[in-house]
Amino acid sequence: MPIAPKPDSALLIVGHGSTENPDSSTPYFDHAQEIRDRGLFAEVHCCFWKEEPSMREARFLIEAEEVYVVPDFISEGYFTQDVIPRELELTGPTTHRHGKTWHYTLPVGVHDSMTDLLLRRAREVAPEVDPATTTLFIVGHGTGLNQNSTKAIKDQATRIFESGAGYAAVLDAYMEEQPLIADWATLAQTPNVVVVPFFIADGLHSYQDIPVLLGIEPEVGPAASQREVFRHNPHALREKTLYYSSAIGTERHMADVILDQIADFDLTHRS
Amino acid sequence: MIAERLAQAVRDGIRQIGEVLILPDTAEAPFALCHHRDADQLDRLERHRSPSAARDLSTWAEDGHYRFTKSELSLRRGWLMLLSSAEELRTALDLFYPAGVGLWLASQEGTLDVQHLREKLDRQTGMYRFARHLSAEGAQKLVADVCGPAHCCVKRILWQLDSETPLVDSEASRFPGHLPTGRPAIPLLCREACNHLVAEARRASKAEADARHA
Repeated sequence: MPIAPKPDSALLIVGHGSTENPDSSTPYFDHAQEIRDRGLFAEVHCCFWKEEPSMREARFLIEAEEVYVVPDFISEGYFTQDVIPRELELTGPTTHRHGKTWHYTLPVGVHDSMTDLLLRRAREVAPEVDPATTTLFIVGHGTGLNQNSTKAIKDQATRIFESGAGYAAVLDAYMEEQPLIADWATLAQTPNVVVVPFFIADGLHSYQDIPVLLGIEPEVGPAASQREVFRHNPHALREKTLYYSSAIGTERHMADVILDQIADFDLTHRS
Repeated sequence: MIAERLAQAVRDGIRQIGEVLILPDTAEAPFALCHHRDADQLDRLERHRSPSAARDLSTWAEDGHYRFTKSELSLRRGWLMLLSSAEELRTALDLFYPAGVGLWLASQEGTLDVQHLREKLDRQTGMYRFARHLSAEGAQKLVADVCGPAHCCVKRILWQLDSETPLVDSEASRFPGHLPTGRPAIPLLCREACNHLVAEARRASKAEADARHA
């Protein structure tokens, strides 16, 4: 859905960030720059939970009186429902505070348009394979603490399977809860397997941890930006052909999903 | 406009923020930035013309460690950033020292509010909830051990332990937020403890609890 320019508004992209791996925040800056280049907003800024600027510092970056806050997170859960509202002092979809009007959208990962991105990424990573002989895994972190954290991934797996893309199976799997991605070779009944990490960044989890769980790497390696040689698909493992993609959040069109969430917000709360 | 006010501050003589030297009206650009210790070798520095390069330049220290605290005294040297406008200057400085200019301007106009450490720890939830149990003595020691130029940060700490308890004197608590170069500088201001300090407070709080139960 195209978004009308908002020359009097600011966009604030909220990310997690990391004190261990700078690759974690790279996509947020990339998404911000992509949207900045389109000239749709008066200002585009990022703020973080674990890096600077913090969420509490963000208002000192912003000059516009109207601010759209988009959580660049995969799922609804602890961060989008507790931490971000608390840190930005938001009380609902729209909050008037510190002389500004703050509009708080849903996280990018729950938007319908993520389905197309996941499909695009799956095709890009394994262009020559026949979907009919392929199992597509959408992988998340998973935690027993919040059921919402897996809902976005389950929903996407269902949508992709029903999209007519032709995959033999589309399965959700997790690092830390059942079904475990470590069991991919037994979960998949097909000779080809495509794995797309449903994470924003190629940080610790998608670039370092999941490759170990898949068996691509024997142990946790260095961060993506610290490697001189990048991995090459496919991987012949456990009598199957495995294709592993970058985190979905590194997809350039994520900027469009951010804009889609803003358009949806306006449709739901401002029309 | 933050960019215009920043440009005016530079016209009025501001020349530094953190470790970054601000050079106005150079032969090559309206504004230039470099490491303050590279001021005498501008011709030998690697040229950058995009303010977004500031993120890469400020991510890794010379020794290869990740600078997750941007006000750490470890900015690498050897670069010169040529900027064509006040807006580009502001963008670059917001990457070197996130929100640093905006926080300083707010303090100049008297609108910079401060949150004390106890309030910050008390609002934590999830895995950081335990940080609120840190003793006053433990919190004072933690600030001296984690903050300040000797550790990871050269911001001026504006907050206290709580509204009635100032921080005890230490290099961290008395640091003015700018380096002693003699150049007029924008001080780096800390209006509330960062999440790195909160994480350390959680660790110290757990250590106190373990010691009590030992």
